[in-house]
Amino acid sequence: MKTRRQFHKLMAATAAGLAAPAILGSKVFAQDKPIRVGASVSLTGPLASTKNGQIGYELWREDVNAAGGLLGRKVELVIYDDQSSAANVPAIYSKLVDVDACDVLFSPYGANLSAPVMPFIKQRDLFMIGMFGLAGNDVAKHDKFFHSGPWGPNSGRDWARGFFDLAKAQGVKKIAIINADLEFSKNAAKGGAEVAKEYGMEVVFNQSYPPNTSDFSSMIRNINAGDPEAIFIASYPADSTAIIRGVKEIGISDKVKLFGGAMIGPQYGALLGSLGPELNGLVNSHTFVPEPTMQTPAIKSFFDRYTPIAVKQGVDPLGFYIPPFYYVAGQLAAAAIKGSNSVDPAKMAAFLHANAVDTIAGKIAFTEIGDWKERRVLMVQLRGIKGNDLEQFRNPGHQVILDPPSLKTGDLAAPYNKARAS
Amino acid sequence: MKKNSLLFLAGAIIVLTLGFLMPWLLRNPFYFFAGYVVLQYVTIATGWNILGGYAGYINFGAAGFFGAGVYLSAFLFTTFGLPLPLCILAAAIVGAVLGVLMGYLTLRIQGVYFAIATLGLVVVLETIVHNISGLGGASGMAVYGPRPPAWSLGPSQYNFTVMVVIAVASVALARWVEISWIGRGLRAVRASEDAAECSGVPTLRLKLVACALSGAVLAAAGAPYPFYTSFVEPVTAFSLIIGLNAIAMPLIGGTRTWVGPVIGALLLASVQQIATVTISSELNILFVGAVLIAFVAFAPGGISDLFGRNKGRARP
Repeated sequence: MKTRRQFHKLMAATAAGLAAPAILGSKVFAQDKPIRVGASVSLTGPLASTKNGQIGYELWREDVNAAGGLLGRKVELVIYDDQSSAANVPAIYSKLVDVDACDVLFSPYGANLSAPVMPFIKQRDLFMIGMFGLAGNDVAKHDKFFHSGPWGPNSGRDWARGFFDLAKAQGVKKIAIINADLEFSKNAAKGGAEVAKEYGMEVVFNQSYPPNTSDFSSMIRNINAGDPEAIFIASYPADSTAIIRGVKEIGISDKVKLFGGAMIGPQYGALLGSLGPELNGLVNSHTFVPEPTMQTPAIKSFFDRYTPIAVKQGVDPLGFYIPPFYYVAGQLAAAAIKGSNSVDPAKMAAFLHANAVDTIAGKIAFTEIGDWKERRVLMVQLRGIKGNDLEQFRNPGHQVILDPPSLKTGDLAAPYNKARAS
Repeated sequence: MKKNSLLFLAGAIIVLTLGFLMPWLLRNPFYFFAGYVVLQYVTIATGWNILGGYAGYINFGAAGFFGAGVYLSAFLFTTFGLPLPLCILAAAIVGAVLGVLMGYLTLRIQGVYFAIATLGLVVVLETIVHNISGLGGASGMAVYGPRPPAWSLGPSQYNFTVMVVIAVASVALARWVEISWIGRGLRAVRASEDAAECSGVPTLRLKLVACALSGAVLAAAGAPYPFYTSFVEPVTAFSLIIGLNAIAMPLIGGTRTWVGPVIGALLLASVQQIATVTISSELNILFVGAVLIAFVAFAPGGISDLFGRNKGRARP
């Protein structure tokens, strides 16, 4: 130590060095911390068939991190299993926000699991991408909530309107409606009856059935007695199978032009494989099918990577219905973060409200409550199915898009009996 | 007042004080969300034990009473705007009435037949709710609760505090039943119903009282649930998981005293809450099953019996 002045300089430099992390630290370290995206997925319980959506999340995370992350930060997923129970949802999302400090949230699957989290995100003013919750934000009207699913505006009533548009075009005057006594199908049937009334159709048969019904023979006979020209069915996988088999056994009137609408099951590999040719002629809702109007290099690349993972995990090897939209959720979050250059909920939401976003499911613009401005629920007709090989469904021509007109790849083959026999 | 009762009273006051102070001691809302579930199960296990433990009548219908409380509270709030304390009181009264009705219909049968009959209650109530559009049917019902009172820091903290009060009241009720003439009569019923009847114990009346009290506590446990989740739907409200936990928790903790269900619920519900956000839920369910088998096989009297003062004493 040469002089006292030099000693003081050295002490000042040491003190500044020691204090630097405390002074600069929060800002510097915040930039290094990953951006955390929190979600709950139904890995177990009755909705476990939706867990293949997690592959969509993970593929998006891989892609975004391979491209350097967001705002120079890596992206990290924090996922918990809600066990398909709404009772677990509040604690899980509090954990994601209050303990894990997630910057962006993805909702649980569907309306019933998402509903408990809506007051929470509204009260805390958080940013969330909704996963398949029909009319999920119609009550809360939170301005920082955006749907990844293609339900469109007024989805509680209109999401299956395409079926009724097709029926109207065919000059249908009498329609029958049946539904399972469960949330999604009950809403679909209620909305369907309203649209039918709007189009001046007479609902000649409208009945719900208990969820565990396996014999539909009497119901099909009653429908035939009503002499409808279209039959709108809102069912879950087990009853979808039983209805298709019941129709094969009992037969249906030759007057029926459209049959299907809101049957859950024929979107998934398991049911497509087990029913095979029995599905011919069915007109049903879907979110994605590999038809020329929907195939893009981006979504083809997604499925090229999804399939081997799905096969390895033993989940739906086709994965058309849910996984692409989980990837879309990530793309929406990424666009909001990049576009607003921030993880501030208000700025991210403002960006998504003001800008359409390019995704693997096409360009998406949002209404003020986060619905897609344009409904893009598909009505597809299953055709030319031979045998039970799942690979045939990867080729065009087996799930022909009838509605919406912008994505149409074919005309309706009617009546149903003729299309069924083809 | 006896020494034990004074100690219990002091303990209850301490727990209540902590329940009211906790929101100011712990700032992170997550602990109140998780704590609510644990306390909800303390109440459910305690309520179940009044009939299932003291009288030995295994009731699989806990979810029915819980769900009835959930829906009554949701209906009263959304339709008439009743405040939460009145919703809880109404749920307890309806739960007691439901308990008496169930008791009249089922208490003349015993063992596995009684268990199946109580399971039927859940199915019947769930089906009824599914078909009442005024209760949201299968689509469920959104319940946007009122703002919490000014003294509370937020909705999760308020729900937690309310559940502390319900849990303490339930445990106090269970303890009173245990040490009163009702508890003595129910123990006689559990030991030998025929012998008790011959000795002049009014068995049916006692069992009806137990059904009413058990139903009241189980329904009261469900009353704040709509405000916790802001949404009710029949599948979750009448979930069999609730019924299974209601049985598993007292069995693990011990069914003979009020302490058993409290210990069992605190242990099992806490582990379940931690497991949900740490390990996979398959392992969580496996853990519950393994613990249950272990206790039934090696410690049928539960934890309270293992460490209790009366260990080894001959029991009915």
